Amino acid sequence: MDVSGVLEAHKQKFKSVSVEGKVIPLEYDLGLLTAYDQNPIDEALLKKNKDEYLQSLSRDNAQLLFNEIFQLPTISDDNGVMAMLPTPTTLLPREKPLPKPKPETRWEKFAKAKGIVNRKKERMVFDDNTGEYKPRWGYKGINDDGSKDWIIEVPAGSNPMEDQYEARRDAKKERIDKNDKRRQRNMEEAAVASKMDQKTVNKGERPNMDNARSMKRKEIENQILISKSSTASVGKFDEAIKGDLKPKGIKRKFEPNVTADLSKEKAGNMSILDRVVGKNGEDLVNVRKAIKATKSRK
Amino acid sequence: MLRTITPRNARVKRVMKNREAKTEENIKTAIFIRGSQTSQIVNDALADLYMLKKPHAVNFTKKNQIHPFEDHSNLQFFSQKNDASLFVIGTHSKKRPNTLTFARMFDHQLLDMMEVSIEKGTPMKDFKTPKSAIGMKPCFMFNGDMWDQNPNYIMFKSMILDFYHGQTVDKVALAGLEYVISVTSGPMTSEGKPGKIYLRTYTIVLKRSGVKLPRIELVEMGPSMDMTFGRMTEAKIDVWKQSLRVPKELKPKKKKNITKDVMGDTVGRIHMGRQDFDKIQTRKMKGLKKRAAPTEESGESGDKKQRVDENDDEE
Repeated sequence: MDVSGVLEAHKQKFKSVSVEGKVIPLEYDLGLLTAYDQNPIDEALLKKNKDEYLQSLSRDNAQLLFNEIFQLPTISDDNGVMAMLPTPTTLLPREKPLPKPKPETRWEKFAKAKGIVNRKKERMVFDDNTGEYKPRWGYKGINDDGSKDWIIEVPAGSNPMEDQYEARRDAKKERIDKNDKRRQRNMEEAAVASKMDQKTVNKGERPNMDNARSMKRKEIENQILISKSSTASVGKFDEAIKGDLKPKGIKRKFEPNVTADLSKEKAGNMSILDRVVGKNGEDLVNVRKAIKATKSRK
Repeated sequence: MLRTITPRNARVKRVMKNREAKTEENIKTAIFIRGSQTSQIVNDALADLYMLKKPHAVNFTKKNQIHPFEDHSNLQFFSQKNDASLFVIGTHSKKRPNTLTFARMFDHQLLDMMEVSIEKGTPMKDFKTPKSAIGMKPCFMFNGDMWDQNPNYIMFKSMILDFYHGQTVDKVALAGLEYVISVTSGPMTSEGKPGKIYLRTYTIVLKRSGVKLPRIELVEMGPSMDMTFGRMTEAKIDVWKQSLRVPKELKPKKKKNITKDVMGDTVGRIHMGRQDFDKIQTRKMKGLKKRAAPTEESGESGDKKQRVDENDDEE
């Protein structure tokens, strides 16, 4: 049975989906749903019926673009049939620069070394005691401090007179404080690491995290020393703080009051005068140090 | 200029986290500003472009004293405050009538901008046809041979794509392709300057065609604008290069050692290390084991037995 005639008649009823007359084939960037038509524009038609010409040209190109899109592999989703798009070929600029990699926390380093992988867990967990689903953490979670239990067994080996509810509350507080301390420590180490990264990156070496803590400690000690002498009496007549450590390595040396060698005394006095008034042609301000000081203050 | 905000509650913290640099970026927000003097054409054009860009658009309804080509510091402030990286500024003056300035920011600093003046514009409300829904992803087409050659055209193409392409997705619903933006380049003028460009927007109607592929019909939806190019500020090369950098995570991963042979089967290659064929551990065939002579064997076992006996004696 020859059905080609019937098919032809059926096809004639509808308008065609193919487009003729494109000398240069279109280029497509399907990731952005774009078609580039490099065929020259018919200037005569453009002058005569601008809008009609533009509409027919656009319709032809849209038909070709859709023919390409409909040939892409598709998957069926809840939202209907989805076409899988390739990555776009036209490069568009970003709006913000690439994010800088954050320094790793202590746990992240440990996990990486041991090969511990973070597996996502369900938020809701079945609680056997109540027989319902509760969040694993947070508000009304199963891990709550347990102070809501109407009865708490006194654990073996603890003082029977102890208030167990209070003990549980204190334990939770301690956990919170520990967590906070660790978070602070991570933040400080991250700050030092990023600072050190700058220095060593400029030098071309790799940063060493073991020095981070000692570097931070040295920084803090330096600052304490500076703040001690930042008083009106340059630290001389301040009240001593109870339990304060004496700063290391600071010794004072006293010259004898009367010396036989007067030239030394003269030299010392002249050097003081030079520093205060300034030698001929030398600045009062050490420019190098001033720049460094302002930089560090910023 | 802007004070650094320290988050005091979780909501502000989330907003700040959303605004910082990410590997996969948010959809760019655009701000539509009116200059100190505007005309009806410019107002209509801004309103239409704003509707197409919604919901990722901010409309400044008040007039601002803003001249981007002279001083673009205002743009930096607006960009930081609204977390927007795209701008359209509409102005009208005797010297430059019905002008739209498109500007882009990178890291809240001006990246590039260009000026177009509208010769003839028809707003959306003048087309009594159905419009597409807000927030749909459009198709684009650029007709004419100038789109790769002239820097004006290249920047305009990049701007239009950047403004309206929405989110870069890896799949799109076929039923959700509702409208198409078509930009056509007209012929060059007799002086050799770039000619007009014609921007048209159509809704797509899919019709039956007897075959699997649908027949496309277009219905003009607006806005429709005929524009000529004005001034342009191109991006500095190093900033442009930095803005085009793709993070490692988003680069397409090369699949190594997997090929398809002539028959269409997927074939993989496994690379073994050096193997010493004398020392390979193969299956044990107990019957093929080297046996010692029978006397020696009993002697050995006898020795074993003796040792056991000796231990017993000692105990």
